[in-house]
Amino acid sequence: MGSLFRSETMCLAQLFLQSGTAYECLSALGEKGLVQFRDLNQNISTFQRKFVGEVKRCEELERILVYLVQEINRADIPLPEGETSPPAPPLKQVLEMQEQLQKLEVELREVTKNKEKLRKNLLELIEYTHMLRVTKTFVKRNVEFEPTYEEFPSLESDSLLDYSCMQRLGAKLGFVSGLINQGKVEAFEKMLWRVCKGYTIVSYAELDESLEDPETGEVIKWYVFLISFWGEQIGHKVKKICDCYHCHVYPYPNTAEERRVIQEGLNTRIQDLYTVLHKTEDYLRQVLCKAAESVYSRVIQVKKMKAIYHMLNMCSFDVTNKCLIAEVWCPEADLQDLRRALEEGSRESGATIPSFMNIIPTKETPPTRIRTNKFTEGFQNIVDAYGVGSYREVNPALFTIITFPFLFAVMFGDFGHGFVMFLFALFLVLNENHPRLNQSQEIMRMFFNGRYILLLMGLFSVYTGLIYNDCFSKSVNLFGSGWNVSAMYTSSHPPAEHKKMVLWNDSVVRHNSILQLDPSIPGVFRGPYPLGIDPIWNLATNRLTFLNSFKMKMSVILGIIHMTFGVILGIFNHLHFRKKFNIYLVSIPELLFMLCIFGYLIFMIFYKWLVFSAETSRVAPSILIEFINMFLFPASKTNGLYTGQEYVQRVLLVVTALSVPVLFLGKPLFLLWLHNGRSCFGVNRSGYTLIRKDSEEEVSLLGNQDVEEGNHQVEDGCREMACEEFNFGEILMTQVIHSIEYCLGCISNTASYLRLWALSLAHAQLSDVLWAMLMRVGLRVDTTYGVLLLFPVIALFAVLTIFILLIMEGLSAFLHAIRLHWVEFQNKFYVGAGTKFVPFSFSLLSSKFNNDDSVA
Amino acid sequence: MLEGAELYFNVDHGYLEGLVRGCKASLLTQQDYINLVQCETLEDLKIHLQTTDYGNFLANQTNPLTVSKIDTEMRKRLCGEFEYFRNHSLEPLSTFLTYMTCSYMIDNVILLMNGALQKKSVKEILGKCHPLGRFTEMEAVNIAETPSDLFNAILIETPLAPFFQDCMSENALDELNIELLRNKLYKSYLEAFYKFCKNHGDVTADVMCPILEFEADRRAFIITLNSFGTELSKEDRETLYPTFGKLYPEGLRLLAQAEDFDQMKNVADHYGVYKPLFEAVGGSGGKTLEDVFYEREVQMNVLAFNRQFHYGVFYAYVKLKEQEMRNIVWIAECISQRHRTKINSYIPIL
Repeated sequence: MGSLFRSETMCLAQLFLQSGTAYECLSALGEKGLVQFRDLNQNISTFQRKFVGEVKRCEELERILVYLVQEINRADIPLPEGETSPPAPPLKQVLEMQEQLQKLEVELREVTKNKEKLRKNLLELIEYTHMLRVTKTFVKRNVEFEPTYEEFPSLESDSLLDYSCMQRLGAKLGFVSGLINQGKVEAFEKMLWRVCKGYTIVSYAELDESLEDPETGEVIKWYVFLISFWGEQIGHKVKKICDCYHCHVYPYPNTAEERRVIQEGLNTRIQDLYTVLHKTEDYLRQVLCKAAESVYSRVIQVKKMKAIYHMLNMCSFDVTNKCLIAEVWCPEADLQDLRRALEEGSRESGATIPSFMNIIPTKETPPTRIRTNKFTEGFQNIVDAYGVGSYREVNPALFTIITFPFLFAVMFGDFGHGFVMFLFALFLVLNENHPRLNQSQEIMRMFFNGRYILLLMGLFSVYTGLIYNDCFSKSVNLFGSGWNVSAMYTSSHPPAEHKKMVLWNDSVVRHNSILQLDPSIPGVFRGPYPLGIDPIWNLATNRLTFLNSFKMKMSVILGIIHMTFGVILGIFNHLHFRKKFNIYLVSIPELLFMLCIFGYLIFMIFYKWLVFSAETSRVAPSILIEFINMFLFPASKTNGLYTGQEYVQRVLLVVTALSVPVLFLGKPLFLLWLHNGRSCFGVNRSGYTLIRKDSEEEVSLLGNQDVEEGNHQVEDGCREMACEEFNFGEILMTQVIHSIEYCLGCISNTASYLRLWALSLAHAQLSDVLWAMLMRVGLRVDTTYGVLLLFPVIALFAVLTIFILLIMEGLSAFLHAIRLHWVEFQNKFYVGAGTKFVPFSFSLLSSKFNNDDSVA
Repeated sequence: MLEGAELYFNVDHGYLEGLVRGCKASLLTQQDYINLVQCETLEDLKIHLQTTDYGNFLANQTNPLTVSKIDTEMRKRLCGEFEYFRNHSLEPLSTFLTYMTCSYMIDNVILLMNGALQKKSVKEILGKCHPLGRFTEMEAVNIAETPSDLFNAILIETPLAPFFQDCMSENALDELNIELLRNKLYKSYLEAFYKFCKNHGDVTADVMCPILEFEADRRAFIITLNSFGTELSKEDRETLYPTFGKLYPEGLRLLAQAEDFDQMKNVADHYGVYKPLFEAVGGSGGKTLEDVFYEREVQMNVLAFNRQFHYGVFYAYVKLKEQEMRNIVWIAECISQRHRTKINSYIPIL
């Protein structure tokens, strides 16, 4: 828990890596993921850095690997994904690996190129055969027709006549035939007509089967066309147009004999091609299968290598160029591991001089590192989404673990719904190692990541549902109601007492549609229900009035407790950053302001609950009026809650009024006094500056005293910005703004907590409506056919319950709970101006094939 | 068009406008240019471009890298973006986008015809055509022998058809006629585009009209400049000028009479907008008139992003991206030819 309360202490370490061992050391560090590297070459652009060549080589390897994976996927060969991730390759192996891969790529490219060529050839031949087959029908007509025409030349239709005339004249009659894409036929025909002014004859036939386009590999519908034309000029044009529309033009055989020969030739060639293609594909498959075995580990290895070089690019060289200097942030708890990793790396590379590290004190703000586990991670994410905590400040995530599900549940109070949610979350939690859930996408992923939050939300909803006594909008009578109706009847009381009480008799019961129970009659109210709201309220017509009063007060009480807790957490921050004056000048006035107004309100609520009973309820004053009167000092006296109330309230008001100027002016004036009177070192600076003292202490603790004090000053001097100027106006402005925000916030934030009431009311009403509209209708149908109706009704009820009440309402309650945490709770103490600690870790690299973003 | 495009604009075009603004944010910054200029080799350039929004668009290019490879890839990227805009656009934005492609189509047609004149293969020239101006009928352009042929047979169904009204002639297509055809087409195109924007009204007209007016004036100046010392008669020259813009009509008449650069400059001096531009020519850094016009264009296009709910952003984005591509190609050329003295004379995009 301690690690969640504050982020870990960090230290800035300098790693001296012998240039021979740097790669191995970083590889060891990357496996462990201990440190965050700082970019020491920020002003050097990417292509001027030391290891650009190596990064480029990695990119080249990546390119080859992407190509390989693409080919393997295309061949439908399964890619085995290794369980363990292989370590970054030793430098000696890299060259070998590169050679291997390059050879493989060249081979593969050649084979695929051949294959593509063969395939294209094959497709073309197939197209050709199709064309021949189809055009045969065109020609047959012509051939059959030829003799008849010579006998009866003038009887034929125009176009055919043209054609025959040309034939007879012996002019150059030309044919162009081929295949054209279905979509282009119309435009093609139009252009042909326009360009050739109608001096062509075009015949078409649609191919009944779809063929693959040899160029793009798409499977589309084709048309076979045959253009007959006369004259060379037009022939050129026709050919150009064919080119323009990317027609596949094939030579057209003039005689039937020729056609037959071509057809036969084609058939044999196609047969041959099939066998060759088959063999090529087999070979390709073999090569790919072999490549597929190692491709996973190669991809990971190259990624790791690239990441290492990226990190090395962030290091600077020392003067002798023998040694790389890296600056890293490392959690203090991990320093031992860091040393060990460095030793390991040095040992592995067999270097004579080991790499070592040095802790350097710094005044810079370290990154925030909060160790989380799978349970706390979700809650930490909620907080981080608002802002990553400043270094070493109180982390609200720890408290969010309980308060978040609780506030959610207050709005979502229904133990039926809560239980369903709990079951769903439980299912996710129990199956969290299931790969399908692990790698789920989008919405499912969201639910999966928040499974522990859901689990707690469900559990807490069950609890608040029990308190509200709501289960799918119905109350459950577990312990027996505390109210007794029969005690209201005249017959259950001795006649002597009848005078004093309003009792029921038969005529009253018969003539009134609404009857009121009176708790002041003995025997009617037999004490409170053991847990939560008495189920009898479910029947009462004034149920809402009762619940509203209860829920409204409850939300105000919860809200004020939550906010006060936030202010108190602020005190922990001030203590930790050694700014005690902030406690006296900021936190305590804030607390007084809050408690004297709203704390007192809570007190009044409790007081009224405890002191006034059913008998005295008629004389109980309204809290609202009393609270307003506290500020207005009315002339006429009210009877008040207790004696001396007026004096107490005056005192509280005075305290409140006094705390305001302290809040506004206290801190700025104190700082001014410090600045003028005692030129105390660095009190006016932000909290982190004091860390320096800490880290110095820690340096000595760790036994690295040989770093000299003088060195510190020099190094620090160049490392840090000059310390801030003391600017009274600015401090005053900040404090005034903060104070105004706080004072107004107290009121508006308290009002904001009323959303707890509003949402829980909305939830209860919505589920009530759903019940009334569906289930009640279903249940009222008579018994014989009712069952048949009840099935669909229950199904609909379940679906609507899940989608509207669980998902929609749940989301809205979730959002409001988030808001209450981010705005109302965290603005009391949380700065959230830190940067997240992002360790250099191989585990953050994606282990997927197609996802090639690298860590940088 | 109703008043208050603000009310409805986002219904149809909001997504695309957001997208194009996002794309605009990915243009290279001044810092990027400074880094690019420092590159020693094209490989360095590639590495630096990887850190920008271009990403690893050159990753699958095998070595060695050449300037033309970079150029083609960049064009492909722009074309991909533009196609996306176009496929998701609704009227009248899609018409607007079609208008935008027309200028590239004209250039491509002219390029192909010139190629045919010089007996180059269509394949070779197709590679040089701008992908934004690609259309199916394009490859058949060289069938035509006269402009009316071209219109009747090939371009009648393309968006270019309406621009042919002025140039239906039976003259054979030689080099001069092709150039005339280009200018006439351009003139009709600009006039049509201008009319379209003007009729559209609203912010689009406010933004696009000045840009197109500038474009028209620039063409007038360039035509004048290029016609010095050619056989083009003054009357013919005047017919080539787009008939709108700041110069229209008096400036154009004066421009038609100009005989050398100084006279042209005198004409420009009458106009507050163009006077400083002409003064900047040849000044510090030896800028050419073209550079100056480019700078002015960039400025106008950047300003177009200051207003919302109009189509001008699409135009401006494509033009800015084009300028950026020209800059990168310029820098890359300078690097590959080891001609570093002029490397800094790219047009900065503000």
